[in-house]
Amino acid sequence: MIDQWERNVPVYDVPIWTRPFIAMCGLGALAVLFVTYRELAGLGPASGMNDAYAWGIWKTFNTMTLTGLGSGAFAIGMAAWLFKRHNLHVVMRTACLTSFLAYLSGLMLLGVDVGRPWNFYWVFTPWRWNLHSPLLEVAVCMPTYAMIPLLLENIPPFTDWLHQHKPKYREYVRKAEAVMVRCYPFIVGLAYLLPAMHQSSLGALMLLGGNRVYPLWQTPWLPVLYVWAAAFLGFSCVAGTLLFCSQMWKRPIDLDVLVEMNRLTAGLIASWLVFRIADIVFRGVIGLAFKFDIYAGLFWMETAFLGVAIWMLRDSSRQRDPRLMFHAHLMSAFGGMLYRFDPTTLAFQPKPGAFYFPTPIELFISLGFVALAIAAFMFLVKVLAILPAPMRLWYRMETHEKKAAELQNPRFVAAD
Amino acid sequence: MALSRREMLQKITVGSASVVATGAATGAALTGTAQAQEMPQAPREAVAMLYDNTRCIGCQSCVAACVEANKTLENARIEGVHHTNLELNATTKNIIKLYKPADGKSYAYVKQQCMHCVDPACVAGCMFKGLRKDAKTGVVTWNSKVCVGCRYCEIACPYHVPKFQWEGWNPKIVKCEFCKERQAQGLQPACTSVCPTKAVIFGKRTELLAEAKNRIKENPNKYYQDRVFGEFEGGGTQVLYLSKVPFDKIGLPDLPHESVPEKYLKWQKRVYSYLAVPAVLYASMVGVIRGNWKKHQEHMAEDEKKTGLRPQL
Repeated sequence: MIDQWERNVPVYDVPIWTRPFIAMCGLGALAVLFVTYRELAGLGPASGMNDAYAWGIWKTFNTMTLTGLGSGAFAIGMAAWLFKRHNLHVVMRTACLTSFLAYLSGLMLLGVDVGRPWNFYWVFTPWRWNLHSPLLEVAVCMPTYAMIPLLLENIPPFTDWLHQHKPKYREYVRKAEAVMVRCYPFIVGLAYLLPAMHQSSLGALMLLGGNRVYPLWQTPWLPVLYVWAAAFLGFSCVAGTLLFCSQMWKRPIDLDVLVEMNRLTAGLIASWLVFRIADIVFRGVIGLAFKFDIYAGLFWMETAFLGVAIWMLRDSSRQRDPRLMFHAHLMSAFGGMLYRFDPTTLAFQPKPGAFYFPTPIELFISLGFVALAIAAFMFLVKVLAILPAPMRLWYRMETHEKKAAELQNPRFVAAD
Repeated sequence: MALSRREMLQKITVGSASVVATGAATGAALTGTAQAQEMPQAPREAVAMLYDNTRCIGCQSCVAACVEANKTLENARIEGVHHTNLELNATTKNIIKLYKPADGKSYAYVKQQCMHCVDPACVAGCMFKGLRKDAKTGVVTWNSKVCVGCRYCEIACPYHVPKFQWEGWNPKIVKCEFCKERQAQGLQPACTSVCPTKAVIFGKRTELLAEAKNRIKENPNKYYQDRVFGEFEGGGTQVLYLSKVPFDKIGLPDLPHESVPEKYLKWQKRVYSYLAVPAVLYASMVGVIRGNWKKHQEHMAEDEKKTGLRPQL
């Protein structure tokens, strides 16, 4: 179904307890069970981490890689609010929710990963901060971002819900919104500053790895490349989510908005690739890309995924083909995630003979926390007005059949 | 929107003044710190160890003494033999290893423990100063009340020294702390106090550096190079090495004279100094967003009039 997105409408015609939802909850529950074991037995028995590979997938994948996917609110928000891509406002709620859940899931797993979490309260004592540590920057900025600007950006769907379902709170909602409207630009500004800082600092983390990070990845520009990758990953995550949801719940899609997102994603990837390759050439390590080894292989895999993604994004825009669009964003996500994961693990050689592979428990916990985020998303989009839809869906939900029928004919039809 | 001349003038003055001010602040942050940055120096009173593998006989007394002094392992002597591990780990802060090439000619021992770097990467990465370098003695110590257990020190250390207790709910970071308790009592570190051949000795860094150079001068052929490892390597260390075989053969990495934090965190430090760059970014973004926000609100009000539905933010 091809249409125009005009208003955010809950997925009102699907029950909450579906089989995928139960499966996600089950995976999450299993992860919580395993977390109990990890807390009692320690990191050694539960995970494959060791003194050489001291960081496992909970940090390197769930946090350093997946919060890249959770940068939709940052990247799309910047495009909408700073670069005046006004038609993207309609997908902002989806972006904010996916971002919040990705961050929340990553941060909770960080709490599981660190060995002495009870000492984290020092984050509230600035005189204890080591301002030169990239990790401090991450530890302060990331929770602050998730818990203040990003959470506040997610408030409007809740106030909408209160307004609609609890009439006696309407007065409070009105007052709260009046305050929010006044603070909004300052909050939104913070919502772009903080991710720009900590998404780049996530890259800066591996700088201290020095020459143990393979030269194709180790560069002073690592922070810039990381935040840049977060930008297109955020776009791809939101576009992919929108396309997937529209397919799963049979909701109409707005190809104009998606084509705009494709255009921006492709532009971000292309400029990123140019920058990345220029950096490798200028540092004089391009020769390493033509060796026959795993590192060159990884490098070409990233480059190929992203190169193909650009081509597919443009092609799918031209053909206005949602299926191809979805695959294009999948490609972009694979490439970007691989780039963010490589310097932390696959292209990180702490010392000869060092080996790391996650244990099944570690994998289950990692996947379980992702599943929890997905379950929360599935639940929230059915209750709150998150996903964009044409206006007639709103009226149909309100059982205004007459108004819905007036708007029955889609105003936009794909050119065949 | 029409502006009066007065308003316009005001806007221009305020705008240009703030641009100049923020620009100057950013410039100062980026260049000023760059000039102020010098090579980090060891404290004047810095303590040190000098290990000379031409004198080491590999008896492992220092290993046993370390285990006993730091109680890293209970029952270290239960079978009457020194406890020995293969690597530094959560129960080993100090170890002697043997380098023996295939031809069996020039074997050499090496002692491994924390190098107490002059500009330590572990301290540079540590969030809340759980690891810190003593301003007077230069000893790098760990604080259980502060450490979050993130293990960034293990990622950062170029010598692979900090180790983590992987078992149990209350893990600690384990590494040589230069026997700080013994030093506080006026004693030498355990390892240097027991060495029968004085292969490892304790003293002030300046004195030991002079001693090491003197040894090379007296017996130039005995040593691999006219070089004391730790004088400059990785910004300098407070454990100094003399060797008869190349340093990389005994596991000492070939590091540039710049310290790891200095080499890799230079720009990070500059960009975040005084938070000037983030502040400028924030101010300019809020400026742009406020303009667009007004227009967005107008659009929303129009939509509300048209549809009669509550606007969605």
